[in-house]
Amino acid sequence: MAASTPATQMITLTTNDGVDMTIERQVAERSILIKNLLEDVGETGEAIPIPNVSEPVMRKVIEWCEQHKKDPPASNDDDSDSRKKSTDIDEWDQKFMQVDQEMLFEIILAANYLDIKALLDVGCKTVANMIKGKSPEEIRKTFNIQNDFTPEEEDQIRRENEWAEE
Amino acid sequence: MTKRSPSDIIEYERPAKRSKRIRIDYLSQLSDELLLRILSFVSVSELCLTQRLSQRFNAVAGDAQLWKALYYNRFVRPRAARLPGLRDGETASGHLYFSSKLSKWLDEESLVSRGKETDWKRQYKLRHNWSRGSCALSEIQVAEQPSVPPLLAKFHDGVVYTADSQGGLQAWRTKRQRRLMANVHFAPANCRGSPVPTSLAIDTQRAVSGAQRVLVGFSDGSFTVFELRQDEGSFEPLYRHPASTNGALSAVTYSSPYILTMTASQLLSLYKFSTEPDDKRVKDVLDPPRLLCSLISHTVWPPLSLSIRPSSQNITASIAYAIPRYPRGWSVGIQEMRITLDGDLIESRLASSAEDAFRPLTRPSPASSSPSTRLSSPASSPGSHDIYSKPTSLSYTHPYLLVSHPDNTLTLYLITSTSSTLSISSGSRLWGHTSSVSSAHVGGRGKAVSVSSRGDELRVWELEGGMNSSANRRRLISGELSVQIRPEKKGVSGDKDLDSLSDAISQRGSGLGLALEAKVDDLSTTRGWVGFDDENVVVLRERSRGSQTLVVYDFT
Repeated sequence: MAASTPATQMITLTTNDGVDMTIERQVAERSILIKNLLEDVGETGEAIPIPNVSEPVMRKVIEWCEQHKKDPPASNDDDSDSRKKSTDIDEWDQKFMQVDQEMLFEIILAANYLDIKALLDVGCKTVANMIKGKSPEEIRKTFNIQNDFTPEEEDQIRRENEWAEE
Repeated sequence: MTKRSPSDIIEYERPAKRSKRIRIDYLSQLSDELLLRILSFVSVSELCLTQRLSQRFNAVAGDAQLWKALYYNRFVRPRAARLPGLRDGETASGHLYFSSKLSKWLDEESLVSRGKETDWKRQYKLRHNWSRGSCALSEIQVAEQPSVPPLLAKFHDGVVYTADSQGGLQAWRTKRQRRLMANVHFAPANCRGSPVPTSLAIDTQRAVSGAQRVLVGFSDGSFTVFELRQDEGSFEPLYRHPASTNGALSAVTYSSPYILTMTASQLLSLYKFSTEPDDKRVKDVLDPPRLLCSLISHTVWPPLSLSIRPSSQNITASIAYAIPRYPRGWSVGIQEMRITLDGDLIESRLASSAEDAFRPLTRPSPASSSPSTRLSSPASSPGSHDIYSKPTSLSYTHPYLLVSHPDNTLTLYLITSTSSTLSISSGSRLWGHTSSVSSAHVGGRGKAVSVSSRGDELRVWELEGGMNSSANRRRLISGELSVQIRPEKKGVSGDKDLDSLSDAISQRGSGLGLALEAKVDDLSTTRGWVGFDDENVVVLRERSRGSQTLVVYDFT
């Protein structure tokens, strides 16, 4: 699809706060949602509404898509091992993800909604790395998670999971 | 837990952000789907830590799909690499992931077919514990007195069956409450000269839940079929075969409707019971079985292992045994009888371990080694077949034949049995034990457990695929082929019972672990028997005073 259209073809997206953003089609097609939409609707030239993503988040997402526009298309096979289990994140992505938690989770939600698997995985790995090497109390502090266990309940789960301690 | 759509979250977050300085738990607001995706990137130990965060995380991090993926990645896919049929490269391509066809092939179908109900975390933990050899230890005393002949024991599907002349046939449960389930005496008490049990077998073919058939062979050549009724907690005698002049039954095996017996005078007999429909069992007795064939052997001496393999076209009855070799040493042989379903003998054939028949009379010096190396398979290393003393035990579960030796080693042979050929591979020596091995038992997937003669050293082996795969040979060299069973020093952490749990924890500081160890050291010898199922290993031990104890190693 992308090969038959000139790389410079531009499309317009409208974010949920009413901002129009014009970007290269090739960049926008990192999003499987937008790619499918463009293929279904055809080239109408009309702005595509993105009702779930706000402008600041969309800018971040587009920044990522620009950087990765030359990547091979994501495979649809979610279970395949091509999705590496390691939490290694390449350097550019690491820098890109140095944002506050609100933005981090907004990016994850946007990537999920726009169906950009690679970005979603970068986001999820970033969160996974924030969990790693911490005690439960430290994890709770990091994410402001409310402990709704009684001390007895928590202790019971700890004991049940003792076998997995390293 | 209801799923939130992304739009809900955004609307929820907006006002919260404006109210200054209130920090928001963005993570817990994610949908289950996204949380699972995040948690798919953390390790097992971290996953268990996150379960302690909150009720929500406890539920999500215990999700069956997460644990199933972990289970497959750790236990199923590496196994595929070890099987000779599957190239190592194929597994790397990732096509093996949740392929149901493959999982069936890898004998995991029992787990997969249970589908959503499978507790994958529990399965993971079980396999994890097996792989580390970590387990809880408990004991069941089965007899106060030493028994002559030695107490017989078999372990099948969570029940240990023991038989001796004093206690009769007994069934002991190894799961949860470890206790005596049922007991039946063979003869009236104080009856002098009554036959004593000499062999014991469990019906491995007929699968009727709650009703397990057991075959006991006696010193007078008679045998009896009992059925363990789990609900009633009793053994029902179903059939009693009359005594025979052929002598004591030294070995029996039972695979419904077939029975294979071996007398001390080397007479092998195969019987078949008339097949009865399982649904209408009106009478609690079996009709006498038909003798299909019998043959006498002059070469078969214990240790030996009888087995029956039924297939859709025919039955294969086999006997695997150790044979002395001229001028010294021991090897293994196997005799197979293939019989049609109607009982007609198709053929009887013999094989012995590949290179042994051609061995030069003297040990080959490096210069004259060519005749023997030519015949040995590339898997075997020179000198690895020299077994100088009589094997202590022999276990055969097709295609694995595992022999234990007093010289701290085991030998693994692979049996090839097709309609045209029967052969035994050259043996592969397995190192790992640091003392004499008194018994070993190998199961269908090449999982084996071996025990030292003092009973203090148990090892679990993963022998699937045999030693022909390079992966297994590497593991043998690096010592990863087996793991020593190490009973938990923490106490009975596997026990469901909360009281005993907290007891154990409170006692942890006061040397419970040491007490357990001391207990083990007190036990003097194993009686040459070890058995296992999916969750437990059971060893029969005899104390110096002669009392018999079942030691249960619990991996759950």
